[in-house]
Amino acid sequence: MQVLSYSGSQLVDLCSALLLLTCFAIVAQRRLSACVDLFALQSAFLVMTAALVAYLTGNQHLYIAAALIGVIKVIIIPRVLKKVIDRLNVKRELVMYVNVPAGLLICGGLVMLAFFISQPIIPLGFLLTRDSLAIALAIVLIGFFTMIARQKAVTQLVGFLVLENGLFLGATAATYGMPLIVELGVFFDVLIATLIAGIYTNRLQDAFDSVDTNQLTVLKE
Amino acid sequence: MIEVAALMIAPLFAGGLSLVVHRSALLHAINLMSMGTLVAAEIMITRTVLRDGPFTALDQLVYLDALSSFILFIIGAVGLACSFYMRSYMDEQVARGMIAPTRLNLFFFLFHMFLLAMVVATIANSVGVQWVAIEATTLATTFLIAFWRRRESLEAGWKYLILCSVGISLALFGVVLLYYSSLHVLSDVSQALNVTQLLPVADRLNPHVLKLAFIFILVGYGTKVGLVPMHSWLPDAYTEALAPVVAMLAGVLEVVSVYAILRMRMIVDHAVPSGFTGGLLVLLGFSSLVTAALFILIQHNYKRLFAYSSIEHMGIAMIGFGVGGPLGTFGGLFHLLNHAFAKSMAFFAAGNIHRRYHTMEIGHVQGLAVAQPWTAMALMISGLALSALPPFASFASEVQVVTALASQGIPGMPFTSTGGMVSFALSDQFSRVGLATVFLLFAVLAFAGLIYRMTRMVWGTPPEGILREETWTLGHLPIILLAGALVVFSFFLPPPIRQLLEQATMLLVIQ
Repeated sequence: MQVLSYSGSQLVDLCSALLLLTCFAIVAQRRLSACVDLFALQSAFLVMTAALVAYLTGNQHLYIAAALIGVIKVIIIPRVLKKVIDRLNVKRELVMYVNVPAGLLICGGLVMLAFFISQPIIPLGFLLTRDSLAIALAIVLIGFFTMIARQKAVTQLVGFLVLENGLFLGATAATYGMPLIVELGVFFDVLIATLIAGIYTNRLQDAFDSVDTNQLTVLKE
Repeated sequence: MIEVAALMIAPLFAGGLSLVVHRSALLHAINLMSMGTLVAAEIMITRTVLRDGPFTALDQLVYLDALSSFILFIIGAVGLACSFYMRSYMDEQVARGMIAPTRLNLFFFLFHMFLLAMVVATIANSVGVQWVAIEATTLATTFLIAFWRRRESLEAGWKYLILCSVGISLALFGVVLLYYSSLHVLSDVSQALNVTQLLPVADRLNPHVLKLAFIFILVGYGTKVGLVPMHSWLPDAYTEALAPVVAMLAGVLEVVSVYAILRMRMIVDHAVPSGFTGGLLVLLGFSSLVTAALFILIQHNYKRLFAYSSIEHMGIAMIGFGVGGPLGTFGGLFHLLNHAFAKSMAFFAAGNIHRRYHTMEIGHVQGLAVAQPWTAMALMISGLALSALPPFASFASEVQVVTALASQGIPGMPFTSTGGMVSFALSDQFSRVGLATVFLLFAVLAFAGLIYRMTRMVWGTPPEGILREETWTLGHLPIILLAGALVVFSFFLPPPIRQLLEQATMLLVIQ
């Protein structure tokens, strides 16, 4: 039992680390469709993590959550985003507020910050997943950073979804998943939010002939 | 518990029905019926709460106490006023071609979903479900804000969607942390986010985790309240949204978000010394009050003016809650109510002005008293109430907040807790008086900015080509009623409302 829990904990850590790694890949990627692919990959890792925790702890409802992530975040949302990108006249992000090397460096700093913040509360956690909380916080911060650093509406949206992935990893890792009714509600909200943002991106394209959010400057003081 | 079910079924049913109905009169009738049901259910719930105290319903999913009944009262009152106002406003928007007739039922559908989400956020027992509902309000309103489909509205809608979604994601992290702390204490995991489960064991939760959770929740829901520095979406959204929608955003949604913060604070304060949460609330309150008062001075768009005034008043309410004690908390709650009434009235007036003058520039609006006497009166009354002048109830609530601030000071400031030594006592008194002075200074600044702009709009002669008469419509009824309530409440609070306010204050103050 001891051995199983030790290697289980290692496996969960590995999966969480893979999620973090894909974050860095997204930060380094300029092509919009590749960003979406990487997000789908990250969600697949999240499915693995959730299923692993479900198997190791015997929490049945986590299987449902894992299946839902698989359907919504690996299949539906990437397809919606790809459709949106097809309509755009740009495929690559040429101008960023922060260039790629500097962005990667900042993300490295964010990871350290996340570990620093969560240091005092990690010892309270369950043995299996205690390190994942820090990783989850790091992913949330990197998603946040992506939204600030990028200009295109689509990449901002990917940043938001990465942030959501971080939150879900946090919920799975720190607490073995939230109560089912809350989880279902969260998935519903994320799905609708993505659909709405997709519709918006199309309308922005039509109205401004661009999806650069730095063109949104009609309203100011 | 039929009244609790009615609260949710009425907007749900009305929303579904709106999707299949296309006649404007029928849509309004459905809306009014649904609002009527909502208000009736609220009255029954308030009576039950006042008689028997807090209760749960629907298999522990719903928790109602004096605080949530008070919030429900604001939702019902402002919602009903909006429904009456919409009757003439929406029809004119359609007639003028601002909104395609075929999209009217979509408007009503989204409006009902917005209402449903706010009701669920108020009555949910689980803070997780509350989070889901508050995020749902963002999703329902984002298209309502961009309903004109102009470039400006798209921009405002996009900013609102992104900023609020991200903000509220941070609140979800706070909820996860709360759950994390409760797992060690509660045995029944599936109910570990329920307020009824958390409150009895709150003092045994881990204080460090709760502090972190509260910061995330405050930033997250604070974004929806529009507290500085998370406010940048708010003036844009308030400028672009339709008048009844802004009235709901400013009057109700802000209150519901404040309620979510207060709910969380009730739990956190059991484990963490209350100076921590109080200090944070006062900090955000002051930053909002100061920033908004300065921005009010430079506004030339009347809807933006009211938007910044909303930020200012939420700041004042936050200072009241942060200072705490019976006086500060009562003042804060009462201020929420007064602001909801005055601000929805102000936006009704703004909607009327926009319909007549077709501009939002203050400089282009003149002679309102001649062109639209009723609206001019409504604008002046709401402006005076928002400046917290007597005889309006907002004067009373603002005085309560500033009195609490001057007598108690900020909780958690180092020198307030180390009284005894003379020098400390002196500096303590000094800081309290200083803070109250800062508060009054910026309240006066906001007052001056608001009144100066409003008098410019009301007096003078209207520009050429502006119709100089105002016919009575159903939309004038809520304006009269709200103005009446604002005056009456300052002299006499109807006993049920006073009891609700007092009991809600007790819930928030007593440890």
